[in-house]
Amino acid sequence: MKKKLLATMLVTAMAVSATACGGGGSDAPASSDGEGGGSSGGSGTAITIFNSKSEIQDQFVQMAEKYSAEKGVDVEVYYSNDTVAAHLATRYSANDPYTLSMVDAKDIYSLGPEHAIDLSDQEWVQNTDYAISVDGKVMGFPVCIEARGLMYNATAIEAITGEEFKPEDYATVDAFQGLLDKLVAGGMETPTGIMKEDWSLAGHFLSETYEEQPDVEAYITQLHEGTADLINNEKFNAKMDYFDTMMKYNFAAGSAIATEREVAEQKLAEGEIAFMFGGNWDWSMLSAYDYSEKMGMMAVPQNTSDGTNAKMEGGGSKYFFIDSSESTSEEQRQAAKDFLNWLVLDEEGNKFLTEDCNLVPAYSNISAEALDPLSTSVKTFADAGNLIPNYDYLPDDHYSICGASMQKYLAGQIDRAGLATEIENYWKSTAPVEH
Amino acid sequence: MDANERAARNKKINHAIKIIILVALFICFIFPFILVVINVFKTKADITSNPLALIGSHGFTMKNFPEAMQKMDFWRSFGNSAIITICSTILTILFASMTAYVIVRNKWKACGALFGLMIASMVIPFQVLMIPLVSLYGGIFGILNHRATLIFMHVGFSLSMATFMFHGAINTNVPISLEEAATIDGCNRWQTYWQIVFPLLKPTIATVAIIDAMAFWNDYLLPSLVLARKELYTIPIATQVFYGTYSTDIGLVMAALLLAMLPILILYLFLQRYIVEGVTSGAVK
Amino acid sequence: MNTNTASYKCKQYMMFAGVTTVVFAAVVIVPFLYGLYLTFTSWDGVSKSKPFVALANYAATFADSAYWQALGRTVIYSVIAVILVNVVAFILAFLVTSGVKGQNFFRAGFFIPNLIGGIVLGYIWKFVFNRAFVALGESLSVGALSTSWLSTTNGAMLCLIIVSVWQYAGYMMLIYVAGFMSVSADVLEAAKIDGCTNLQTIWNISVPLMVSSFVQCLFLTITRCFMVYDVNLSLTKGEPFNSSVMAAMHVYNQAFTYKNYGTGQAEALILFVVCAVVGVLQVYVGKKAEVSA
Repeated sequence: MKKKLLATMLVTAMAVSATACGGGGSDAPASSDGEGGGSSGGSGTAITIFNSKSEIQDQFVQMAEKYSAEKGVDVEVYYSNDTVAAHLATRYSANDPYTLSMVDAKDIYSLGPEHAIDLSDQEWVQNTDYAISVDGKVMGFPVCIEARGLMYNATAIEAITGEEFKPEDYATVDAFQGLLDKLVAGGMETPTGIMKEDWSLAGHFLSETYEEQPDVEAYITQLHEGTADLINNEKFNAKMDYFDTMMKYNFAAGSAIATEREVAEQKLAEGEIAFMFGGNWDWSMLSAYDYSEKMGMMAVPQNTSDGTNAKMEGGGSKYFFIDSSESTSEEQRQAAKDFLNWLVLDEEGNKFLTEDCNLVPAYSNISAEALDPLSTSVKTFADAGNLIPNYDYLPDDHYSICGASMQKYLAGQIDRAGLATEIENYWKSTAPVEH
Repeated sequence: MDANERAARNKKINHAIKIIILVALFICFIFPFILVVINVFKTKADITSNPLALIGSHGFTMKNFPEAMQKMDFWRSFGNSAIITICSTILTILFASMTAYVIVRNKWKACGALFGLMIASMVIPFQVLMIPLVSLYGGIFGILNHRATLIFMHVGFSLSMATFMFHGAINTNVPISLEEAATIDGCNRWQTYWQIVFPLLKPTIATVAIIDAMAFWNDYLLPSLVLARKELYTIPIATQVFYGTYSTDIGLVMAALLLAMLPILILYLFLQRYIVEGVTSGAVK
Repeated sequence: MNTNTASYKCKQYMMFAGVTTVVFAAVVIVPFLYGLYLTFTSWDGVSKSKPFVALANYAATFADSAYWQALGRTVIYSVIAVILVNVVAFILAFLVTSGVKGQNFFRAGFFIPNLIGGIVLGYIWKFVFNRAFVALGESLSVGALSTSWLSTTNGAMLCLIIVSVWQYAGYMMLIYVAGFMSVSADVLEAAKIDGCTNLQTIWNISVPLMVSSFVQCLFLTITRCFMVYDVNLSLTKGEPFNSSVMAAMHVYNQAFTYKNYGTGQAEALILFVVCAVVGVLQVYVGKKAEVSA
């Protein structure tokens, strides 16, 4: 009896393992056998794409299906909620890299020289100002333009003020504060929101205090050498004055560092608050709620005369590179190049970028009319040359460590001098990414 | 008489107190799941604005389920998860119990060394092994992207703990006198093990089965490293796309959660009977 | 038959533990040794070159104050969580083996938290702490609930502990249940006849007979708490201001987010050694107690 039971168990285990092996074996080498549908001209080459923008994953998957069917190239799109670096590290360790990987700008500098191929001869290079070159070779294909600034809900503002909202009227903190007071008087008790996430506070906001310096590189060097006097720095103070104003009117002032992003985004979308710092990628969140009609992005208000209060910070965001290792065949590389060209030079590809994914194109030949409200603002700023470029060389732990300092400031645990000291201390022990 | 009555009443009161405590604790334990069940029928906007409401302002919706199932390719992922979980669990139980037996009954150096290593290995943070593991099996042997490889690794990682649990069980629950009797009856070690020892381990087998099956079913990190092809995805890998850094669709997450939980819950309810039965029938001491 | 020859031992060993030894070595030992080697290189995780740097990573580890803070925090968290988990689990096990109606139902219920992986579990609880409790606090105007506990340093730690107890108590309960049930009914009956009260029976009869359950549960909770990562990531993510970063999370960040793979690996190794010493010591002491009991 017992033996029988055991035997049955063993046999089942083996049988199932065997099928598992067999099953796994037959579909493992996804690269070279032409099982992908409709292998007409492309001889059924299969490529893999790593997408690191979760908000467009659905669109990407759908596009890949269509693209595969039409072009005879089997395209599979992958996403991981691990950090990009960690995920790619495992794929490279396993000798199983993606044909095309979408990464952040700084990853191109660190990965490019060893893992990316030279794309300098590609046609799309002529059409963009945002491609990344390393050692004189174009390696990063910019996916889109993204910018950081102050998101506003004009519908909600106008409902109270009764007049048209013109963002450029509120370029200074003084004017901005006047408007906020008006909103409060009109019944919107707490007109602002602040994202407490470290990547927003340090990665997106604090970094603006670097990028707006007259000479970023020199300033970062000063920080690293410990000679930058942050607390007396004009830019730093101008930005922090704005931040203080936002803190003062924050809807979650009492629990600023416990507010979930979803809650803040919903309030902004539905007009319970009027302003929040963010970027055009936030639209994917805002649009999940009953959002107001008139929304947009504006420059961060500052009491300054250097003109930065009329500009947002941004530029190329997310870059594709093509794998150069021997795990990727020439056909695959060619298929990947074709795909990138399709995105930029084919009408279908353009439509995918601008309409399906709502991305602001980084290419001069692509027009985009039907963008979402935030991206429309970004495009206006970009077309007018009003984007201050991103500083892409922040160390990898910057957002986390300086983000913690910003959170302490937001929670009222340290004052501005304390914040300045913590940031100065951070930079003394670290250096920017080599570039 | 009077004393007896009082004793009976005391017993009843005692019983009632126990039930009350149990129910109170039960509610605490189950509370988050009630939340999940409530919110799975709401839209994302309603979940954010009022998580406690029974029905959101956008009304009752079922659409989270089909959408989640479609996005995670539910049945394919389910099949992969099932094959991997079943094989890994059975193999782990067989090998671990055998190993524990030889370790408990023999004070050999090799046994001591193996057991020591196994115990120590239980405290290795997985992150330490992660990259070496993929470098070795992917970079050198090139056998990633097979379900069998994952089963092999699952078994390798869970053997330590399972052996540890069987070790304890054999030590305390299997009287050596029974084995000696079997030996006298002419059984060799192998026969003794399968006919006498293994059946006595039923409660522990059930425990290990449920614990390991659950761990395999829910594991994310290891499968995500080994299975990098969509057609091999298990349920946890397939659902990860629902939580991105910049957007989490909480409604879909909850639907996926419920779907993924059901099979393992059923397994547990089923095995739970064996845990009880095994103990009551095997009270040989 | 001579059972003391090397060939007999070898055959027996291979018969029962051969497969285990091979699989275990292939999956755990070999990668571990390779990982050990990597701590002597300054590899960044993706590059092809792995320059040998001898002990530089260990020097960096000793200089990394954030790591030692995280480790200290982990010890505090572990001590509290281990005690609470085991107390709760033991009480649960006692209650569900004491013959109340529907005890199987309760057993299933308490075990449910384990049916979900750590990551998802953290998300659910984050939702509970940040939203449900706050919504509840506001509607009942209970001050202690109206701001999220996750927003303060101590609160975040408390939340981590609550979730750990919630997560592991049911699991450990199972082991204690098996322990309770392995104490034979005759012995308990005899104790009752001798006039022992319920509590006395538990304390004097069941507990000593359940030493192996205690050893197992303690070992499991200690090691799990020391290596907590999933829940840490999804529940607090280290917030507020990196004050709830536990050792494993710091290690992960160091290796992958900050791209100091070698240093991360070295830090993980030190975490492993600390954890191993505590765990093995505990088992050793426990086994001693078992023998004497």
